[in-house]
Amino acid sequence: MRKGKNSMAGIVVPLLSIVLALLIGAIIMVCLGANPATAMKNLAIGAFGSKPNIGTTLTKATPLIFTSLCACFAYKCGVFNLGGEGQFIMGSIAAIYVTLVTGITGVPAMLLALAAGAAAGGIWGFLPGILKITRGQNEMITSIMFNYIATLLMGVVYTNWLRDGSVPQTQAVPKESQIPRVITGMRFTWGFVIAVVLGLILYYFLFRTSGGFKLRAVGINATAARFNGFPVRRLMLFSFIVSGAIAGLGGSAELLGTQFRLINGFASGYGFDGVAMALIGQLNPIATIFVALFFAALRAGATTMQAATGVPTSVSDIIQALVIVFTVAGMALTKLPEFTAFLQNRSHKNGKEVRD
Amino acid sequence: MSELLRIEHISKRFGDFYANRNIDLTVERGEIHTLLGENGAGKSTLMNILAGLYQPTEGKIFLEGKEVHIESPSQAVSLGIGMVHQHFMLVDAMTVFENIILGDRRSKGIFIDRAARRKEIEELAARYGFQIQLDRQITEISVGEQQRVEILKALYRGAQLLILDEPTAALTDIEVEGLFRVVNRLKEEGKSIIFISHKMREVLHISDRITILRGGEAVATINRDEMDGQQLASLMIGRELSESHYEKRNTAEKTVAVLDHVSYHKNSKHNGLADVDMKIHAGEIVGIAGVDGNGQTQLAQMLTGVIWPEEGHIQLKNSNVGVFDPLQFIQNGTAHVPEDRNLQGLVSDMSIADNIVLKRTESEEFSKGHGLFLKKKAISAYASEMAGKYDIRCRSIYQDVRSLSGGNQQKVILARELESNPDLLVAAHPTRGLDIGATRFVRDQMCAARDRGVGVVLISADFDEILEMSDRILVLFEGRIMGEYSGKNPPIKEISMAMTGK
Repeated sequence: MRKGKNSMAGIVVPLLSIVLALLIGAIIMVCLGANPATAMKNLAIGAFGSKPNIGTTLTKATPLIFTSLCACFAYKCGVFNLGGEGQFIMGSIAAIYVTLVTGITGVPAMLLALAAGAAAGGIWGFLPGILKITRGQNEMITSIMFNYIATLLMGVVYTNWLRDGSVPQTQAVPKESQIPRVITGMRFTWGFVIAVVLGLILYYFLFRTSGGFKLRAVGINATAARFNGFPVRRLMLFSFIVSGAIAGLGGSAELLGTQFRLINGFASGYGFDGVAMALIGQLNPIATIFVALFFAALRAGATTMQAATGVPTSVSDIIQALVIVFTVAGMALTKLPEFTAFLQNRSHKNGKEVRD
Repeated sequence: MSELLRIEHISKRFGDFYANRNIDLTVERGEIHTLLGENGAGKSTLMNILAGLYQPTEGKIFLEGKEVHIESPSQAVSLGIGMVHQHFMLVDAMTVFENIILGDRRSKGIFIDRAARRKEIEELAARYGFQIQLDRQITEISVGEQQRVEILKALYRGAQLLILDEPTAALTDIEVEGLFRVVNRLKEEGKSIIFISHKMREVLHISDRITILRGGEAVATINRDEMDGQQLASLMIGRELSESHYEKRNTAEKTVAVLDHVSYHKNSKHNGLADVDMKIHAGEIVGIAGVDGNGQTQLAQMLTGVIWPEEGHIQLKNSNVGVFDPLQFIQNGTAHVPEDRNLQGLVSDMSIADNIVLKRTESEEFSKGHGLFLKKKAISAYASEMAGKYDIRCRSIYQDVRSLSGGNQQKVILARELESNPDLLVAAHPTRGLDIGATRFVRDQMCAARDRGVGVVLISADFDEILEMSDRILVLFEGRIMGEYSGKNPPIKEISMAMTGK
């Protein structure tokens, strides 16, 4: 029953965490003197209540899907890429240069900018990857450091190199080079579609191809993978590059579809949000997409909630944080030997067979 | 001489298995008493009982005539029993001085009276003739010196009885001499020493009395001059040759692998190979006998491309290997049953099916377009077939390998490795930890592979297994091949002497 039990825990724990987090959120709302039912209702309306609201939710979900897929892919191969944010930013910097500086316009500029974004993100993933496999540098430290470099580089870009007049920001991407919306009246763009399709492709790659199989094997047990003749280091580097490229593509899509210009605070927090969502999604690309959608909904609905009931948007942030805390704690709990023993005891009492 | 320690009828049982059975032992004051025995003879268990790490199932322990119950390591220390483990228990980042006073309660209040402690330690070191640099970090001093720190630490805590668990294992010859000087000096001062070893030369050199353990029981206690090494070795091994279950063969078939003067970390006696020369022919089982930690791990990894030789050459299928990489060896027909199933052999959080096809997901049989699309049905069907053929007992082939018993895990590895039609099979401790049924199955499979013409290298610390299975026996000691013997009517005494380095 082990496998069944594990995948069960993989679904039950996140769902239970969400319920618990919402419950505590409700208690906080009561303490603030609001009716939690009304507040929750307004939160839901803000997220899904109308066509424009759904559009906003999907727009907010798009960069989160990219960064969570970035984390998901690297972790599946056992390398901890915490540099999603930096890779995302490098992607957007590449995109802004293609659209503003090369002189190319229209759809070709957009496509080129997306490709350049993926490439820039890939390079930003390659750097910590190569440091890890050749020099044994801890990829968590180096990838975070590369985040700082990317953020500061972006600062130079919008305050100096591509500064738009007196304001510290770049010019906007010209209208004709932007990623168009999918449905008029809804804010979300084809960038969202790209993100979802990318998630499906990653799922297919990881679970239906030999390459993905090997990559997962390396992630679970690199020593056994090496003994069985897998090119472990090459696979690790590969997953770092792809992971970076995913984030980079996300950065260019965000720039071309939603933000249009680089400005202070662009992409701030997306990298670590992605890491948390990938973990809540049990490193399954498709589950990860849904987790990102859920978080985006909490963010999109928070303003409506505040307007209608006076509950501040930060309550939504608290709920999001609690979901992360509960999921991580819950997954740790299911790995404890005491928990396994508890489950076995219970099913023994129910007269069921537990292990082979 | 007066008696310091007396052990009466000590037994220690783990489940149904007796690690120690009804052991009697006395240690006099000022005596060096050696415990001699093979791997798994029960030496370490007995010493862990004395050190307070295990509680005996039955039996009594007397110190200076009074019965004691040793319930914890700290109690053992307060009773004057000091243990120096084979792997030192020192804090690398601290200095020698800090390590010695670690856990010491002599200082009053919350501050350590360093000057006073230091003076005590220096006096102690001078008394036993230790040369020790108190202010050096553990990482900066040699292994021999680290050992002296351990001994000094035990003495500082008032040890009357010192247990040295394989103390010479990590030392160079010169360091061993130094250790023996220290041990003799301790003896002159009236300390008692229990010395654990399986190196005959050293045992004969240093001991006053020798107790031989075999299969958890104390077979005999003798004075050093009563016996020679040959007699001791046969007492320690304690077996006559029994009829082998398997037919033995002499082969002069083609060679499948050659090690030509291969060396790896030559000067490391326990993690290296020195000038190893061997040939493996098709259709034979070559047994590598030896006490664990004499280069077996390195030999297995050398033959499978995990590590590469610093000197010498390896030939597979009569051509020199140029690229040392497991994949290269696998493609040249090498199969590996590694010593650590879960770490090296299996991806435990993947299913039985995944582990069986692990190396072959790109083949036509299991995927379209060289791995672009895995044929899940073909993989399942194949895995089910293999689960039947190799008697893998499971509820489902999608079960995680982790949830299988050791025997069934080993069968998953065998199914993968043997079905690749190898020319060479390297099996390291293939039956370690398995029950009788699974052990028999694994041995039958290895024998069947040999009969199909596979060259099998069987590395095992289980001497019975080597005797039972091998067509040819090589003995590995401190990374060197000590001798080659026929598997038909093998000369047990000679082999066991070779295993202890003579």
